[in-house]
Amino acid sequence: MVRSLSSVAIVLANITKEYGQLKALDGVSFEVKKGEIFGFIGPNGAGKTTTIRILTTLLTPSSGEAKVLGYDIRKDSDEIRRRIGYVQQQPSTEFFMTVKENLDTYGRLWGVEKEERRKRAEFLAEKFGLNEILNKGAVELSIGERRRLQVAREFMHDMELLFLDEPSTGLDPIVKRTLLDFIKERAKSDGVTVFFTTHIMSEAEYLCDRIAIIDKGKIVACGSVEELRRKFHSETVLVLTVEGKDEKVIRLLESVREVDAVLDDDTSIRIFTNDPYSQTPRILSILLKEGYHVTEMRVREPTLEDVFVQAIKKGGPK
Amino acid sequence: MSRLLSLLLRDLKSSVGLSWHLLASQLVMPIVYIFILGLTLNRVIGNVTVNGTTISYVQFLAVGVAFSQLMLGASYAGAMIFFDKRMGMFEQILAGPFKRYEYFASKILSVILQGLLGSFLVLIIASPLLIGLSLQPVGILYVLYSLFFASLFFGSLSLLISAHVKTDQALNVVFNSILPPLTFVSSIFYPLEIMPDVIKAIALANPLTYAADVARFGLFGMSSVTFPYALFLLPLLSTISLALAMRAAYRISL
Repeated sequence: MVRSLSSVAIVLANITKEYGQLKALDGVSFEVKKGEIFGFIGPNGAGKTTTIRILTTLLTPSSGEAKVLGYDIRKDSDEIRRRIGYVQQQPSTEFFMTVKENLDTYGRLWGVEKEERRKRAEFLAEKFGLNEILNKGAVELSIGERRRLQVAREFMHDMELLFLDEPSTGLDPIVKRTLLDFIKERAKSDGVTVFFTTHIMSEAEYLCDRIAIIDKGKIVACGSVEELRRKFHSETVLVLTVEGKDEKVIRLLESVREVDAVLDDDTSIRIFTNDPYSQTPRILSILLKEGYHVTEMRVREPTLEDVFVQAIKKGGPK
Repeated sequence: MSRLLSLLLRDLKSSVGLSWHLLASQLVMPIVYIFILGLTLNRVIGNVTVNGTTISYVQFLAVGVAFSQLMLGASYAGAMIFFDKRMGMFEQILAGPFKRYEYFASKILSVILQGLLGSFLVLIIASPLLIGLSLQPVGILYVLYSLFFASLFFGSLSLLISAHVKTDQALNVVFNSILPPLTFVSSIFYPLEIMPDVIKAIALANPLTYAADVARFGLFGMSSVTFPYALFLLPLLSTISLALAMRAAYRISL
C-alpha cells in the first residue's frame, strides 16, 4: 500500500509500464512533497513522459501503485485531473484560433468565469510577451511563439499540482528565464507543487528543490542537487583540451586505472576521477608519449550535468 | 453538463476555423445536384408518385441531397479527433477536468449541430423549388427528427471507424469507400418503390433511406413503405451506433 500523507503530493510505489516486450518503466518509486519543485531528468526515451502520463491518469500502469494529491490514479482519476495542470512536450494549440481566443477558450474549458478569464489573459499576455501577437492566428505563429502560448495558457486556471514536460523546448533564453522565474513564483506564492521534466541540467539546477534521475525506466538517483553532488563527491571532474583529439585519446584515457569515466564533449574531454591531482602527471605523460598536445587542463567540482552523466553511466551513485 | 457545453463550444469554434472554406465548398455540390442534375432530370422524369402522393423529381431530390450533405458533415466527427491529436489537443483535453465520454459526446453533438445547419442551408437554397408547399409545424418536427437521428447515426459511425483506424488518411479511405454505396443504395436519388428487389433489400438496411423518407413525409406527406417502421428504426439504429461508438472510443490511444 502506498502511504497517503497530507504533506506528500505524489507517491509512486514500484510502478511498471510494459508495451508488449518493452518495459518503459521498471519499478519506479519516489515521492514529491507538496509545494516543492521536483525535477525529473533523464535522457530521451528514459521514461519521463510515460511517468507523467501515468500521473496525469492518461495511461494506466501495468503494475504498482501511485497516488496524486492523495487520490489513487486508478480509482480517482477525475479528482486528480480536476486539480492538476499539464504542459505536454508535444506542441498543443487551437490551430485555427487567435492567441486571444486560445487563452479564452482554454480558460472556459476549465470553467473560469468570463471576467476572470479576461484578467488572467491580460496578465499572462503581458508576462509571456504575447501582447503583440494577441490577434494573430495560432497557425501564423512561430514555433517559439506557439510554445509561449501553450505554457501561458496553462496558467489560465488554478491548480494544486503542475506537470511540465520539457516546457522550455523552443523558447529563447529570455523567455525561458521568465518561465522558470514564473514557475518559482507560483510555487512560492500559491503553494503549487511542480513536477518538471527536462534534459537541460542548468534549468533543473536553477529551478528544482529535488531531482530524480531516470534511465531505461529505472530511477538511478533521487535527492536535492546538493545531496546528489555529495553522493558523487568522490568524482571530481578534470577537464582537458587536447589538440588533434580523436577516438584513440578517449581509449587511452579510459585505460588509466584511476579514471572512472571519460566523456567526449565537443571541444573538451571530461574525466571523472577520485584523485585528479595525482592522476594529472600520469595522464599528461601518456598523452605526450602518444604525441598529443594538451592545451588546457583544469579541475572543477561536479555540476548537476556531471552527476547526471555519472548516474546514467553507473546506474546509480557509488 | 457545463463541461460538455464548454467542450461543444470549443469544438464549434475550432470547427468553424477548421472548415469554414470546407463548409462553403460543401454547398457547391448540393447546388450542382439540385439545380443542374435535379432540374435536368426533372424534364426526363417529371413527377414522382409514392402511395398516391405526387411531387416533382427536383423536390424529391432536394430532400435527398440535404441528407447526403448531412451524412458527409457527420463523417467529420472522427476527423475532428484526428485533428485534435495532430494539434496536441486530444492529450491536453483528456488530461483536463473531463471524462472521456464527454469529449467524444461533444464531437457527436458538434456534428449534429453542423449537420442540421448544413442541411437547412441546402433546403433554404432549394426553397425556390419548394414554393407552394403548405408546411405544417408537425411536418417540421418530422424533418428535425430525421435530421437529428441521421446525424447521430453517422456521427457515431464516424467515431466508431476512427477507433479502429490508426491515421486520418485511413479514416478518409474508409469513408470515401462507404459513402457512395450508402448514398446510392438508399432513397436519396430515387424512391424505394422503383428499385430492383436486391437493391431495395439492401436499401432497407440503410438508415439514410429511413431518414429521407421521414423527412419527405414531413415536407410533402409522402408516405413510403418504410415510413411506419422508420420512425422507430431511426432512433434504434442511432442508439446502437452511439453505444458501439462510445465503447470503441475508449480504445483510442494517445
